[in-house]
Amino acid sequence: MRLFWELSKLSFARQLNYRAATLAGLVTNLFFGLLRAAVLEALYGSREEVVGISLQAAITYTGVTQALIAFTMIFGWYEVMDSVYSGEVASDLLKPMNYFTFWLARDVGRAVATFLLRGLTIMAAYALIFPIIVPQGAEQWLALVVALILALLVSFAWRFLVNLAAFWTPNALGIGRFAFILSWFLSGFLMPLRFFPDWFQAICSLTPFPQVVNTVVEVYLGLLTGADLLRALGVQLLWAIGLILASQLVLRAGVRRLVILGG
Amino acid sequence: MSSIITVSGLHKHFSVPKRRAGLWGTLKALARPEMTVVRAVDGISFTIQPGELVGYLGPNGAGKSTTLKMLTGLLVPSEGEVWVNGQVPWRERERYVASIGAVFGQRTTLWWDLPVVESLELLQHIYDIPAARFRDNLAQFRALLDMDSFLDTPVRSLSLGQRMRADLCAALLHDPVLLFLDEPTIGLDVVAKERIRQFIQHVNSEHGTTVLLTTHDLSDVEKLCNRVMIIDQGRLLFGGGLPHLMERFGGNRELVVDFAEEYPAVDVEGAAVVARDGLRVTYQFARQEITASALIGRLSARYRIQDLAVREPEIEATIRRIYEEKLLESP
Ligand SMILES: Nc1ncnc2c1ncn2[C@@H]1O[C@H](COP(=O)(O)OP(=O)(O)OP(=O)(O)O)[C@@H](O)[C@H]1O
Ligand SMILES: [Mg+2]
Repeated sequence: MRLFWELSKLSFARQLNYRAATLAGLVTNLFFGLLRAAVLEALYGSREEVVGISLQAAITYTGVTQALIAFTMIFGWYEVMDSVYSGEVASDLLKPMNYFTFWLARDVGRAVATFLLRGLTIMAAYALIFPIIVPQGAEQWLALVVALILALLVSFAWRFLVNLAAFWTPNALGIGRFAFILSWFLSGFLMPLRFFPDWFQAICSLTPFPQVVNTVVEVYLGLLTGADLLRALGVQLLWAIGLILASQLVLRAGVRRLVILGG
Repeated sequence: MSSIITVSGLHKHFSVPKRRAGLWGTLKALARPEMTVVRAVDGISFTIQPGELVGYLGPNGAGKSTTLKMLTGLLVPSEGEVWVNGQVPWRERERYVASIGAVFGQRTTLWWDLPVVESLELLQHIYDIPAARFRDNLAQFRALLDMDSFLDTPVRSLSLGQRMRADLCAALLHDPVLLFLDEPTIGLDVVAKERIRQFIQHVNSEHGTTVLLTTHDLSDVEKLCNRVMIIDQGRLLFGGGLPHLMERFGGNRELVVDFAEEYPAVDVEGAAVVARDGLRVTYQFARQEITASALIGRLSARYRIQDLAVREPEIEATIRRIYEEKLLESP
């Protein structure tokens, strides 16, 4: 536990040092956020709401999803792969620590830092420009925090699993790219999943990806309440547990196959 | 005493896709890659007793690093058994690596962007080292390895020698019973090499740490190892004491003499002149026939000498001789 904290802290501090990258990321996320908001506004036209989602909620949606990009690394993350291909993985495997937990601790530090630096800033900027929706009451805030934590766990376990491909093949980058595009597309990042036809929603719900984006935003917007809210968080939790277990199993198999180059 | 390392019938084979010539060959290789099997380690057995300091030698590509990777749990053998300290390295990796230290000279085990001291502190948490013991060990090692000047430097900015010292320190903070070193003196200057040797010696004699090290530097072996194992092409060729090895296969030593004046003939019994360049003459002599000091005695009785140096045959040359001339079949 102490180790987890230390690793997270280090990774948090490292993230704070990437000032230029943070600023660039922030500007990009905000720019595309505004673009998406403008497109939605045009699509809504004179309609007040679409499938129960008001224009105000839709615009807020773009803000929250843009704020989630860095937090859950929606567009992809290749650090474990890099570490395998550079041989750094050997150093980490020589240490008495769980390789998954080691990376999770670092990812938590990174995620918290980007959440504070990029996520909150984007939301603040949105609040200045649009009349966005803000969660109401302690209960909804609490649910949002839980949803964010679970979203991070699901996203991390998925990203870690994808990266483990590097333990099997010397060119896992392509697999990674494909996997991350898929998870991005099915996560509900593009538009609220409610906008999509039922069959598409059904496909998405068979995957863990909506748990990373769609669920968080629905909680944020207050679209889920009471039993629905609890069920949504429960599903998120189950996916998190399932993916973490899967990561551990695949990791175990991978470590036995891994060929460490050099020396 | 029971062995701390037992290796029996160890194999590691790698499959490498075979390259085929021409476009047709490339296409065929894509469809059905033909594999070549590299037998990096090809049936090695040995034991090491607690407290030993053993050199693991062999030419490039002999299979030394591959063996060490299996002994440290990084690679799973294709065949054969390894027991280290009562455990099978790759079976319960996390538990196993807590009891060993390892330095792979070509890469660091420290975190690239952290100052050395922070990296070491992180290790305290990773190995769960009690605070008092961590403090003691760190104080001791930083003095022995003279690390004070670069403790706050990020690892990526360290010189090679500094990095190696930091890595050695990192590998030993948790008092491992075993230390694996893959070329710990690679690329270092004479002073740095010497410091590292003294440190390894210290750890072995004071802490009783069993050490297995690979190197291409004969002096490392001479100054450190009670025993050497020589492998080539994945097979063990020799296991025994270094004096024994050099006696049998060491080849000839050389004595380089700078005479104070020109002599028409500089012959001496027991040695042959192999090179002559002005006042500098190089002799070759066999250690079985004459000692260096006896030879120097004979020369200085007859000629005025400015300076001289004894050159030991290089370990690489010795190893080469051993397998090129098939001096030894597997023991
Ligand atoms: N991952 C791998 N895939 C294919 N072949 C490999 C792999 N790792 C090692 N080999 C081959 O196995 C043999 C032994 O390599 P190894 O690294 O163990 O040699 P070494 O004794 O450490 O040599 P050096 O002194 O050069 O470090 C070499 O022929 C090498 O090319
Ligand atoms: Mg090697």
